[in-house]
Amino acid sequence: MTMPVTQCLLKLHEDHHNLEDYQGGVPRWCSGCGDNAILAAVQRLCRDEDLSPERTVFVSGIGCSSRFPHYMKTYGFHGIHGRAFPVAEGIKMARPDLTVFVNTGDGDCCSIGAGHWIHAIRYNMNMTVMLHDNHVYGLTKKQASPTSPIGFKSNTTPRGSYLNALNPLTVTLGVQNVSFVAQAVDWVPEVLYDIISAAYHHRGFSFVRIIQRCPEFLPKMFESWLADPQKTLLLTHANGLTLTPELSRTYKNQLAHDPSNIDRAREIASGEDPIPVGILYRNPEVPCYEDVRHAGQMRTPEHIRVGLEAELDRFTVWPKNAEPAQRAV
Amino acid sequence: MDMAATFHEQRVFFSTSRRQGEGVEAIEGLGLRPALFAGYRDLSLLRHDFPLVLVAASREAITVRSLSGIVDEVLLEVAPRGIEGERLRKHALALEREIRARVAAGDIGLLSELWTAAAERVSAHDDETAKEVLRYTAAALKLDGEVVGCDLAMPAKFLAHLWEAAYAAKARAFRQAVDTLVVRLSDILRAAFIHSAAGQQPGALRASVGGAHQNMFDFDAMSRLVGRRAPKDELSPSRRRRIEGALAVLRGQRFFPDPKASSSPDAIVAFEFQFEDCASAVEAFRARLAALVETVRAMAIAELEADGRYIEADHDPFFESFGDHTLTPDDLALFPDSLVCIPPDRNASPENANLIEMLSSGLPVKVLVETRDLLEESSVGAGHFAFGVRSVRLAMTAMGLGGVFVVQTPSSNLLCLRAPIARGLDHRGPALFSVYSGAADPAASIAQYLTAAAAIESRAFPPFSYDPLAGDNLAARFSLENCPQPEADWPVESFEYADEQWQRVTERVAFTFADFVLCDRRHAAHFARVGRARWNARMRPVAEWLELPEKELTECIPYLWAIDAGDVLHRVLVDVRLIGAVRRCRTLWHRLREQGGVHNSHAEQLLAREKAAWEAEKQRPIEELKAAVTPAAGSPAQSAAGEEKAGAVAAMATTEAADVPAHSPDEAWIETARCPSCNECQLINDRMFLYNENKQAYLGDLKTGTYRQLVEAAESCQVAIIHPGKPFNPNEPGLEELMERAKAFQ
Repeated sequence: MTMPVTQCLLKLHEDHHNLEDYQGGVPRWCSGCGDNAILAAVQRLCRDEDLSPERTVFVSGIGCSSRFPHYMKTYGFHGIHGRAFPVAEGIKMARPDLTVFVNTGDGDCCSIGAGHWIHAIRYNMNMTVMLHDNHVYGLTKKQASPTSPIGFKSNTTPRGSYLNALNPLTVTLGVQNVSFVAQAVDWVPEVLYDIISAAYHHRGFSFVRIIQRCPEFLPKMFESWLADPQKTLLLTHANGLTLTPELSRTYKNQLAHDPSNIDRAREIASGEDPIPVGILYRNPEVPCYEDVRHAGQMRTPEHIRVGLEAELDRFTVWPKNAEPAQRAV
Repeated sequence: MDMAATFHEQRVFFSTSRRQGEGVEAIEGLGLRPALFAGYRDLSLLRHDFPLVLVAASREAITVRSLSGIVDEVLLEVAPRGIEGERLRKHALALEREIRARVAAGDIGLLSELWTAAAERVSAHDDETAKEVLRYTAAALKLDGEVVGCDLAMPAKFLAHLWEAAYAAKARAFRQAVDTLVVRLSDILRAAFIHSAAGQQPGALRASVGGAHQNMFDFDAMSRLVGRRAPKDELSPSRRRRIEGALAVLRGQRFFPDPKASSSPDAIVAFEFQFEDCASAVEAFRARLAALVETVRAMAIAELEADGRYIEADHDPFFESFGDHTLTPDDLALFPDSLVCIPPDRNASPENANLIEMLSSGLPVKVLVETRDLLEESSVGAGHFAFGVRSVRLAMTAMGLGGVFVVQTPSSNLLCLRAPIARGLDHRGPALFSVYSGAADPAASIAQYLTAAAAIESRAFPPFSYDPLAGDNLAARFSLENCPQPEADWPVESFEYADEQWQRVTERVAFTFADFVLCDRRHAAHFARVGRARWNARMRPVAEWLELPEKELTECIPYLWAIDAGDVLHRVLVDVRLIGAVRRCRTLWHRLREQGGVHNSHAEQLLAREKAAWEAEKQRPIEELKAAVTPAAGSPAQSAAGEEKAGAVAAMATTEAADVPAHSPDEAWIETARCPSCNECQLINDRMFLYNENKQAYLGDLKTGTYRQLVEAAESCQVAIIHPGKPFNPNEPGLEELMERAKAFQ
């Protein structure tokens, strides 16, 4: 196997990074928050894939989870509420060479940002999306989010919420052009890492819903799942997750699921107890929007000059017998 | 009739090629052709691969289509089920037939032009409905391109068309890479200018805001204001020189110039990459090598500069000594490959004498060697047919060079082989396409397509492909492409005819190399017709005769079935010289198909050995067999493998057991692998609870904290993975209560 000269030279002074190289500010999440687990997994992924910090971008909206870019020593964009996806899409469109991650919360993505979410799935741009789903608005001190369970008492639903929770997985799986859907939980870090890694390697819109604990406002929410490994259903497959023997011993509740089967994925995604964890759906054949829409011609200064001159020539009053067409003849 | 005399005459012809007596007649002027050609008198009436359409500017993978395929596609789209659809189909097929006939007659042009012309001719003999129907089908025609028949010019056109598609794909990728670098380097220069003193002059600032707002600002004041920041030239002279140099090379490269700028007066003229001889291709490569090296160098510098990773101390010496020796095959693969289409009459010309050397040097060149004559007399004059010696040997020699992609095929098979041919054009290295395009001197007006197809059937020019990078073994690299009945020496087909009593007779007739030679009028002397009255049982079809035992060969005479212009069946004797050529052709076919994995002698020997061993095993007494078979229920190898596997499983079990650390209830420990990095424990004591390289907690020095902190950390851990064990300092206050709290985590 040979390698172009350029690659050889780039490798000559290739930077290798360790975990600390990706550590931005000290996280200000509550102690015990599941966001820490996601941060650790993502930093580990960046190190293992040796992602150049200057070629990596984390984009977020508003919420606890959306503080994520502050804690990564890469490029980042802490955007406005619900608008993480359009910002990320713009970045990807302008700089397809960058690695783009989106960190969004259940309120940010599934409520105010739902319109952008649906279309981002349809656009299938190459980015890794992590939905930090703690079932509550935590940053604003406990209001019900779209994924809060029915009966959940909060500052906005003092008598308990009236509606069934929205299932982000089934919604995503129902949108045209969906290409990657997975679910992880923050209390199984090994699987969390594997799933984020698989999402990163998928070319397209990789949507990972991460169910996470909020020890401040929903401290008891996942207690039974933490106590009983049987309540976590691990999805395994040769094209999906493969578990280590240690993990298999702890989490014995496993199901073989082929990620190419979307009907089965929808069926599994609608289950809530046990919580399905793994890659639900993956289709590498779905085209990415940035590829479909790519102009095929970079706008180099020469290209712009030629285009402008052609445009201006249309309105130029030429001296007699000096029009371009006649000159060419 | 004296049958003994008849046989004697036939025998004399077989042995000496002399026609002695009345029973052995010359075939000159009879227009004989192989009997299996009976159904292929007028090819324009038959739907087959030809003519082809070289689809223009197609972004699809398939850039060459058959006319029949296109018509089928149109019909699938526009023809409804039922009688209406049938009418439409009938007219469309008539139109297809008309186009095919016109192309065979020498018409050339685009499909759309031929379609329109054919539609007018077809509808001229029909009512208005036909005209309307054909107009309707024309509207459904979604593609266009040059239509080519199976003539002598076709192979070069076909290959050039596929090469252009490969060139266009390469051009897109190359322009994308170069344009990206140009934009990034231009951005660096622009940013440097904006930050420099020159960029902060009033004039520069005025130009930067555009004409509409130029009167809104005081640019002198603005210049003074922004100038306070101590403007500086961020680019060192050497870096600026490097970037500008790289930009100049990238903008001026002639391998894939900007197509949009081609209309401007100072447009860069692209290099030409299509040649008619090897010498020109080599010369052009040499002449352009410096430009190629310069472009690769500029791309490497640009990439490093754009990334801000150019280190002068390390890279300057490297680029100073940059030359053609630095290039890798991957670098060469970025640039266009040369296409050399050698016309058949120049195969042996001095310009092409270094063909093999050029291929073996690994130059990125794709060569089409076209052969029109497989039956030429050898230059050494050995007195036997030197069929395809030059071209067949060429393909086999090229295979032996190691890195050359080789395709050998007659022109009739080109459409079927478009995928391997396209792979050959994409191959990173040289490729050879050896194509046989039809008889030099056909007998009985046999169509060129038919002669080329006969070369496949008769094993005279078997199609194959060899991809040196396809795998580690010959099975992956070599493939017999579309060879009919590869298991057999000769393909055998059913042949039906009416006998003297007008009864239908069906025979199985093999198509041999002798049948192929019958198509060429130059070799009529090797055949002799035998009148029906003199047919006898000692005359045997050539394929059958070749299989006779040695001692019977002299008792029989080989013949072919042939038909004349009136489709009357004849038996044609074959002389001994031609039989020698047939044998040689068969031998070469055996060798070739063995490479393709058919009747592989090594495999057959192994099979025979294993079979013999198995038979011997079977002969043993049943008790002994039982005793031998019971322990492993298979071969000794399987048994060994089973034991090995069992050992591995046992080892794995041991490993698994070892993976689980045995912790006594008295010991403090953390299930590190399950740690979700939530920071709870570190907030209690970040010296006692440490993170590993994956940011997961483990216990550090217990003496840096207290047992109380250990228990509190266990209680606050969200996933309950901290096990405090027993106190390590007996003097710590409140131990009794702490131990009680710790019990839940033992």
